[in-house]
Amino acid sequence: MVTCTGCALLCDDIEIVVENGRIKEIRNACRRGTSRMKGCVNRLIPSIYQKPSDIDSAIRKAAEILKSAKSPMLFGFSNSTCEAQVRGIGLARKLNAMIDDTSSFCQGMLIEKVLQKKFRTCSLEDARNRADVLIYWGSDAQDSQPRHLSRFSYFPRGESRQRGYEEDRIAIAIDVRESNTAKICKGHFYRIPLKGDREFILALIDALSGKVPSYDTKKILELAGILKKAEFGMVFAGIGLTYSIKEDTGVLLTLGDLLPNFHIMPMVGHYNMRGFNESLFRETGFVNRVKFNGNVIHEDKYSILEILKEKRTDALLVIGADPLLSLPGTVVKHLSAIPVICIDPCTTLTSKIAAVTIPCAVSGVESDGTAVRMDGEVIKLSKVVENNYASDEIILNRLMEAV
Amino acid sequence: MGMDLGRFIKSPDFEIRITTYRDIFQVEALEHDRFGEEYKKLSAAITMSKSDLGKMGLKSGDRVRLTSNSGSVVVEVKESKRDEPGGIAFMVNSPWSNAIISGETGGKGIPEFKNIAAKISLAKEEITPLEKLVPGMQA
Repeated sequence: MVTCTGCALLCDDIEIVVENGRIKEIRNACRRGTSRMKGCVNRLIPSIYQKPSDIDSAIRKAAEILKSAKSPMLFGFSNSTCEAQVRGIGLARKLNAMIDDTSSFCQGMLIEKVLQKKFRTCSLEDARNRADVLIYWGSDAQDSQPRHLSRFSYFPRGESRQRGYEEDRIAIAIDVRESNTAKICKGHFYRIPLKGDREFILALIDALSGKVPSYDTKKILELAGILKKAEFGMVFAGIGLTYSIKEDTGVLLTLGDLLPNFHIMPMVGHYNMRGFNESLFRETGFVNRVKFNGNVIHEDKYSILEILKEKRTDALLVIGADPLLSLPGTVVKHLSAIPVICIDPCTTLTSKIAAVTIPCAVSGVESDGTAVRMDGEVIKLSKVVENNYASDEIILNRLMEAV
Repeated sequence: MGMDLGRFIKSPDFEIRITTYRDIFQVEALEHDRFGEEYKKLSAAITMSKSDLGKMGLKSGDRVRLTSNSGSVVVEVKESKRDEPGGIAFMVNSPWSNAIISGETGGKGIPEFKNIAAKISLAKEEITPLEKLVPGMQA
């Protein structure tokens, strides 16, 4: 059995048939995972200033750029193994650099609360075995973590839920869009207006406190009734919810206090975003947006977005991420003005403008290691295909030696 | 088939609010080939309710220009297969949606990926190619 790195569910029941050093068949994985494990059509090649090079020269050039930069930054890491992430944090420390990952504009805020133990949470196995009320809030798991409902929440039998979705479980969707997940939550889809999450939470808090909610009274009272009866409830918090409430997570904490049987789990997309958050938290007390200068400084201004917008880095190492693809166009303009070092298995939008590109192995397929599932469980990744690509951990090790 | 030029002459702007989402088929295409036609086809699109399309005189398959304070992009408009109440348009998260998302965050580092104010109008131009969206990128 192999672990899939398609998303942060890290499904470890995948069967892979390898023939002549290539993947011939993948069984049990979802569409997203299959596509990731099969790999991209355009593998990255080593290059310096967009001219083909060899990997040793590319690593030397990358080290030279990072060493001579006044304000270097390392970014990405959500598609890297835990081992590579720890190396990356070490490299940032050695370089007195800034370091951030994609959680900075994704689920970092909620994961930080989980690691600080401000939210009650549980494992995905607990959810499968015990959960009877499942709320997908601003989360379309069917498209982002496609096997979430079938492996861990709505559909499977669990120790105390032998009749699964037919009788034992209620799935609820709260969303601005009738997503594919909402379609499954038949009769329990609560459509909210854009940015309406906070108001919805406040109305729910009223209803749970015995007051009459001013907002959509009948539906809110009905929902509060379902939640009060829950024996083991789950709130699967998607980025729809996170983006909507942003730093106002206090309302979610208040709601959590009124629902003592509920657990909150941030829904993570990239396979090891939580791994990076946990590693950095262990070393610095923060999940992202850190600058090393002998000490540790954590401020919003060290987020990748603010750094690029304010043009406050003069060399950026990107590993396992594609900021040109995932950040607003106005923000990424600065990337074409500075040397970018790109470490990735595939050609990306960012690698196309990079000063140095360094190809690496696809983790969980061409290199092994560990990763942290969205609920905090550490999962082993295995190497199933033998080839010459170095793992991201080895590349970062070599960079560390060279700077 | 002759083109109804009259539609372009009077093509007015409409204010819309867009939210982004994830689509498994688009993510599949992204993992396979982010420079490919499939990824472009599944990304460079905006979905709206039947009633909103009707109000704006648009039909599924039309090309539309989306313009915000941050940028402008041409994509294909599609009618939602769901029974949408209208008022919100949907785009899959991609460089095409990122082209019109503001970098303003109040210093907090998180853009409004899911709340974009834009104008929409019928467009004559082709769908904006990826190279044009990415500063400094060669085809």
